Amino acid sequence: MKDRITTYGIIGKFAISLIAVVVIQGILAYRIRVFGYFDLPLILSIYYGFTLGRPVASVVIGSSIGLLQDSLSNVPMGTNGFSKTLIGYLAATAGSKFDVDLPVTRGIAIFLFTLGDGFLVNILGNMTGSTSSLTGNTIWNWLTVGVFNALLGMLMFGYHDRVTRAIS
Amino acid sequence: MRTVIASKKPAWITLAVALVIHTLLLSAQTSKQFDTSFVRIWLLASLGPFEKIVDVSVEGIENIWSGYIGLIHVHRDNEKLIAENARLRMEGIQKAEDALELIRLRQMMALQATPIGKTVVARVIGKDPSPSGRSLTIDKGIKSGIGLGSTIITHDGVVGRVIISSDDYSIVQLIIDSQSAVGFIVRSSRRLGILKGTGGAELEMAFIDDDNDIKQGDDLITSGQDQIYPKGLPLGVVLSVGPKLGNFKVVRIRPSVNFGRLEEVLCMTEHLPEVDTGQAQ
Repeated sequence: MKDRITTYGIIGKFAISLIAVVVIQGILAYRIRVFGYFDLPLILSIYYGFTLGRPVASVVIGSSIGLLQDSLSNVPMGTNGFSKTLIGYLAATAGSKFDVDLPVTRGIAIFLFTLGDGFLVNILGNMTGSTSSLTGNTIWNWLTVGVFNALLGMLMFGYHDRVTRAIS
Repeated sequence: MRTVIASKKPAWITLAVALVIHTLLLSAQTSKQFDTSFVRIWLLASLGPFEKIVDVSVEGIENIWSGYIGLIHVHRDNEKLIAENARLRMEGIQKAEDALELIRLRQMMALQATPIGKTVVARVIGKDPSPSGRSLTIDKGIKSGIGLGSTIITHDGVVGRVIISSDDYSIVQLIIDSQSAVGFIVRSSRRLGILKGTGGAELEMAFIDDDNDIKQGDDLITSGQDQIYPKGLPLGVVLSVGPKLGNFKVVRIRPSVNFGRLEEVLCMTEHLPEVDTGQAQ
């Protein structure tokens, strides 16, 4: 019984954090223009991928957050779902096989994952007819989002490290 | 559940299953064999209240920060007046356009002016959570008479159209979205054409040939020919007329609406009357 409550608690915690991130991203991007350059759902997918180191959990988290993101977006359902699923899996695999403890490594990884996510979303958008073909502006936008994501991700990971160290 | 999540062996199976599900979902929407909009409507209806709560909280903090608590009623009245002013300005713009039209019609033939129709004021409560997305969430839906394709405007001009609607919330595709297209008329020369979103901050004219007389600073209004947006609403100003690219010229437009500063919008709840643009050109 206690085990079941703990399991529900963990799932509930994850669900709340996923909903909160998608909703907060929508509100902040609307209220504070600079947040339009962040992709909090993507950072969260990578964050859980790296810190949990469990590919199955990362796939479920990436998939769910992608679908939530799609529901408030104008792309077909499954576009961000597909992309975040793959990113979550790759982040978890990379987290368990490579040393992602260095802030620089994490920053570069987040930057590359952002480009990968943008590329995937664009390809899927082109296939489903929801986005136009790749332009210089689009690539410039990905690069900007990549830099912003990398900086925020490094801060988040730094905070995570500090909390983990304080607990242990 | 915990053992499933903790296990590493079936990771690729889970990945494959998840990717197949997403692919099927995408495929179903593309082929239009199955209507999957209920998933999105359900998720929008579930996430909408959260978004509104956060939005109201943020706004509350902003209000405390920017004004006095005792002036809340004045602030509310002011908001109502701003909305009413927006509506009146919209009607003013429409009337000015009608007057211009009347002059032309006296010379040619009598045609019916386009009314704006019934509108509902909605509040913008969120933006597309994807950095590349160009959509907004508003706090009005089917219950307020808004449905798929409803036109969204402000006193400045056209904002976009509704693409998903739940009972209380809707998602609006902005005209700057790369999949958006609007029929336009150049106010001065009455040339007709199609404006396309670029996915950035500007719009582009589609299929503008070399011998056009479009010039920088020209005002563009909706033509009504797309049967989505009523005729005569401001769209934007020609920013630049570029060199020929392939068979057509690149003409960039600055939208008349500042999409970064939208707070309230007008949603047209009435079906559009048939618009006759035969007098244009």
